[in-house]
Amino acid sequence: MERGGGNLLEPRSYSFGRRISVPAKIRSLPLARLAALGEAFLVASGSLRANKLRTALTLMGIVVGVSAVIAVVTIIKGLDKTVAQTFSSQGSTVFTVSKNPQIIKSREEFITFSKRKDVTHEDAEAISRLCSSCWRVGVAANAVETVKHADQKSEGVRIRGVDPTTMFAIDGVSIDIGRIWTEAEGSSGHEICVIGPDLLKNLFGGAPADRAVGQEIRIAGRPYTIIGVLEPLGSIFGFSRDNVVYIPYSTYQKSYGARRSLVVFVQVPTAEQLEAAEDQVRTIMRNRRGRTFGQEGDEGFALETQDVFLNLYSSATSNIYIVTIGVAAISLVVGGIVVMNIMLVSVTERTKEIGIRKAIGARRKDILTQFLIEAVTVTAIGGAIGVITGFGLAYIISALIGFPLLVSVASAVLGVGVSSVVGIISGLWPAWRAARLDPIEALRAE
Amino acid sequence: MSDITFAPSVTEKIFAQEDTNSRRHDSLALISMRNIWKTYQMGAEEVHALHGVSFDVHKGEYIAIIGPSGSGKSTLMNLIGCLDTPSQGEYWLNGKNVSEMDDDELARIRNQEVGFVFQTFNLLARATALHNVELPLIYGGVGSAQRHEMAKQALRSVDLEDRVTHRPNELSGGQRQRVAIARALVNHPSILLADEPTGALDTHTSCEIMDLFERLHAEGNTIIVVTHEPDIARRAHRILSIRDGLIEKDEKTK
Repeated sequence: MERGGGNLLEPRSYSFGRRISVPAKIRSLPLARLAALGEAFLVASGSLRANKLRTALTLMGIVVGVSAVIAVVTIIKGLDKTVAQTFSSQGSTVFTVSKNPQIIKSREEFITFSKRKDVTHEDAEAISRLCSSCWRVGVAANAVETVKHADQKSEGVRIRGVDPTTMFAIDGVSIDIGRIWTEAEGSSGHEICVIGPDLLKNLFGGAPADRAVGQEIRIAGRPYTIIGVLEPLGSIFGFSRDNVVYIPYSTYQKSYGARRSLVVFVQVPTAEQLEAAEDQVRTIMRNRRGRTFGQEGDEGFALETQDVFLNLYSSATSNIYIVTIGVAAISLVVGGIVVMNIMLVSVTERTKEIGIRKAIGARRKDILTQFLIEAVTVTAIGGAIGVITGFGLAYIISALIGFPLLVSVASAVLGVGVSSVVGIISGLWPAWRAARLDPIEALRAE
Repeated sequence: MSDITFAPSVTEKIFAQEDTNSRRHDSLALISMRNIWKTYQMGAEEVHALHGVSFDVHKGEYIAIIGPSGSGKSTLMNLIGCLDTPSQGEYWLNGKNVSEMDDDELARIRNQEVGFVFQTFNLLARATALHNVELPLIYGGVGSAQRHEMAKQALRSVDLEDRVTHRPNELSGGQRQRVAIARALVNHPSILLADEPTGALDTHTSCEIMDLFERLHAEGNTIIVVTHEPDIARRAHRILSIRDGLIEKDEKTK
């Protein structure tokens, strides 16, 4: 930038002592913007410090918004992880054959399914005999009962009648202390059982597992002898997976009747063989239900992998997640409005200052940047605090519910990033209003 | 400036051509104003604050602009200080035609060519004296080390080197005005433009400030003081009297 024709060379201005000349070139360097930017930061931090209460309240708006979003996202991620882990414990090598699918979507389906024939022990035996791709085949039926020992009782215990003992392997549970029943015991209808570790706690006051073996418990009034204790599996969503009693299927039939539909579990050695085994089992079951390939109407049985449930889980919850995150995001929008409001107040209050700065040579861009930086500083700090409190909130909630906390850097960066964008958006209009103030009128303000 | 529009009418243009001063601008002058009009729209009515003002200021002059309130002297000061542009006419400042500049160009001219001294000092309350003086250099893009040095020197030149870290509320009125003068001088502007510089000061301090102006003038600075006080105006070497938007009198006093 030239600096006024011939006058450049002449010494002008005050000249007490040594005069420092200002080379014209200095002023056009990119450094120029840098100096103004530094001033903007200085002014922003000064103004935020000068109005501590106001800054705190503004921060609060952003903190609440960001921490809500962070907490929700973190909890959702933890939930997903837990669900995925839980269902993969049985793994993608297991599928089931049952009368009704695990999820019934409508009344019409319910009516259709209730017309189906029960899945019986004979079906399981046929599968076991005819399916060459199948590795392990077992049957299981569930009931829920109150279990008692002496004066202690445990409610809501899952009673699982299984046959043969390979069902323990298919279920992914293993014996901690004691033993599983023998084949002879299993088919004889003996009142013997293997209990989950929760019952140790509830019925035996947390006594060591070997103390429980050989003891008697009462399930639905019938006495059972404990022959083994399972290793703990942990809980999901606060529901323990260890609150279970395994009994032989023959014994289960004695108590609950023979004519109840059961679930056939089929396991293949590797996930690659799953599809082949499913095809074989489907053919076998169609034959047994008197149907041919491609026939219209109901198949007469349900063949499912655990993926079915997982897929349904994710499709059902993804919409809930979007809504939940949306609701949390609204508080961020409210936070943004708070920032805009405060910035408008700040601009009005500092009209005189803006006038002084403009008179001295601040350009529109300088004023705009100054107020934008102020807005973004508040929201970025608010965002950072929000990320921390959000994770804290998620930590507390996940500790209460009992699933892992997944702290991701991505969501932290996202939290600060989004809040900064909120700052820019909500600061833009007030900053623009400040930038286009007329210096003469602004100077007149008090 | 959103509610004010410039609308010079046809009759004004004819009137303007009759003005005796509508010759080419003096390229040697520091300030050259030619037939400057300033018109404000007040509702349906056009108000002419200036009716074709023309004058030149040469380097090193010490000028007082006087006139009663409503005479147009504030409008003229705003134009000289490049806070505003004329509705009509040409204004050359240090070889540049500033009459048709946009907002940001004017900001740059204000930054480099004009040093303002206001009646109410207009210092930033939260900033130290040094930072206040540095402000024009910041917007001029001077690096921080050189900025500090220049600002300190400017404060030294108004005898405030021991008040560098003081904030305006820790300074007396006279000291505040001297900080403002240091701020006006720090960028080595072409003109020092003072609007009622002693209006908020007592007589004794006023004298000190006016002595400082005299000293600055003696050192080669071009000074324009806008005032309604005859005592202050008398210190200048040339007095422009404004009345009803016109220069009524332009006299050299020294």
